Amino acid sequence: MSFPLLFKDELNGFYKSKVMIFLWVGLPLMTILLHLWSPDTRGSISLTSLSAIVVSSLGGTLAAVMLSVSIIHEKTRRVYDLFLIRPIKRWELVISKFLAVYVCLIIASILAITLGMAIDLFNTGLNETILNNALQSFAISISMMAVSSAAGTLIGVAAPSVLVGVILVIYGANQISSIPLLPNIMKISNPTPFTIILGAIISCVLLATAVLVFNKKQF
Amino acid sequence: MAKSVGRNDLLIFEGISKKYKDLLALDNVSFKIEEGEIFGYIGPNGAGKTTTIKIMVGLLRQSQGNLYISGYSMPDEKDKVHKLLGYLPQEVAFQDWRTVDNALTTFGKLSGLEKDAIDHRIERSLDIFNLSDVRYKKIIELSGGMVQKVGLAQALLHNPKLLVLDEPLAGFDPETRYQVKQIFKKLSKNGTTIFFSSHILSDVEDIATKIGIINYGHIMKIGTLDELKSHFPLKHEIEIVLSRNAGRLNELSSLKGVKSIKQTATNKLLVQLDSNTDLDDIAHELLQQFIKLDYRIRSFNPVSISLDEVYLQYLRGGA
Repeated sequence: MSFPLLFKDELNGFYKSKVMIFLWVGLPLMTILLHLWSPDTRGSISLTSLSAIVVSSLGGTLAAVMLSVSIIHEKTRRVYDLFLIRPIKRWELVISKFLAVYVCLIIASILAITLGMAIDLFNTGLNETILNNALQSFAISISMMAVSSAAGTLIGVAAPSVLVGVILVIYGANQISSIPLLPNIMKISNPTPFTIILGAIISCVLLATAVLVFNKKQF
Repeated sequence: MAKSVGRNDLLIFEGISKKYKDLLALDNVSFKIEEGEIFGYIGPNGAGKTTTIKIMVGLLRQSQGNLYISGYSMPDEKDKVHKLLGYLPQEVAFQDWRTVDNALTTFGKLSGLEKDAIDHRIERSLDIFNLSDVRYKKIIELSGGMVQKVGLAQALLHNPKLLVLDEPLAGFDPETRYQVKQIFKKLSKNGTTIFFSSHILSDVEDIATKIGIINYGHIMKIGTLDELKSHFPLKHEIEIVLSRNAGRLNELSSLKGVKSIKQTATNKLLVQLDSNTDLDDIAHELLQQFIKLDYRIRSFNPVSISLDEVYLQYLRGGA
């Protein structure tokens, strides 16, 4: 089973990349900036929720672009040849790439949301709303980012060029990633489980398609 | 279930065809390679060399025909074959963030090398290809020749039974080419089978124990260098190397059957014969004349057709 090795390897590549450094440092920094720009969040949207939305939309888009561009780039340069002639499964290569970026995004998300929560706590003190907000925000964030990353993976595998890939991410992945927000917009009671399930289903479908396309590709 | 194959056949290509939409890239290609052989695969651009190689390593799927490596069917038993395989693509590429050490460690592990063995193997590979100084450098910062060496190192790292190399010597300076050829010969002696494509026919001539010529997806000819040459008559030329400077060439030129004598170097002569002359007769007479003229002969060789000429003859359909 080469999956743990490939995952570790991809993680090693991604966490050093400039985009990931931006996400890990930039997103928590953005939470602080949001607080400074609008310090009184009482009565309106909490800073925790705001951080989650910023993280998931900005981080998700960046991750989708990064994933698709990196896959297209590596595919056209024939980087995968040296992997595919070894005893590994093609799905392991695709999923390890997705998972490496997704794990990095989750870390960025936890950092930003925790910071937002800390500022909310400082402003309003500990209450149930903050904890609920944090949980809901985190669910939205990880669901949207999972969809973004999965869409980026599929686009990377299927798109013939970087330009096509980026256009598809901007006009496609970005829109699809907002689907997990629907239970919240539709004001369903206790929307968090629905958000997570919806995100997981869409991500799995996108990833399964990516694996199918990658399996059919002849290099 | 592994196919029962001939005692020493490591690779069997059996009526393989490959179609890309309307283009027939390979047409009923068949050949066998025995264990320990060095198979040189030559042909013009677009002849089907890379397609053959990609089918061999499982990157492409044949449209028709059977391929067996070490008895295992490809692509059905790809996983088993991939454990035996080392591959260098025509343009080897690595992820931008990889260092030489990281690339070799990852590919070594993916090829099934044990953790304890990897470090030793990497050190040995880096040593063989003079890469020890750049072990922790990013591959993207290395020159083209160095990257090609890293590519070769990853292909050899796990001591594969079959090495499939697409243009492995392109991009190397003459010294490195010589060293790499010596490595290939050594590997072959130790039982590794090598299949390589090349445009540099002198390299193929130097190391290949069997040569295949492909054009327009068809195998034109397969055989040892001598077998390929044997289809063409010897040239009506004799090359003579003397131990001292040549002189009095006029006396030799007057021999019956000798068309001309060219002095190609101070002590080297090229005797061109009439096309209807019997080479054996004239060789004997020439030798006698040289002895009579008190020349000391270092070598006396009828000039045989070169691989370049054999190659061109086959491509032009002259055989």
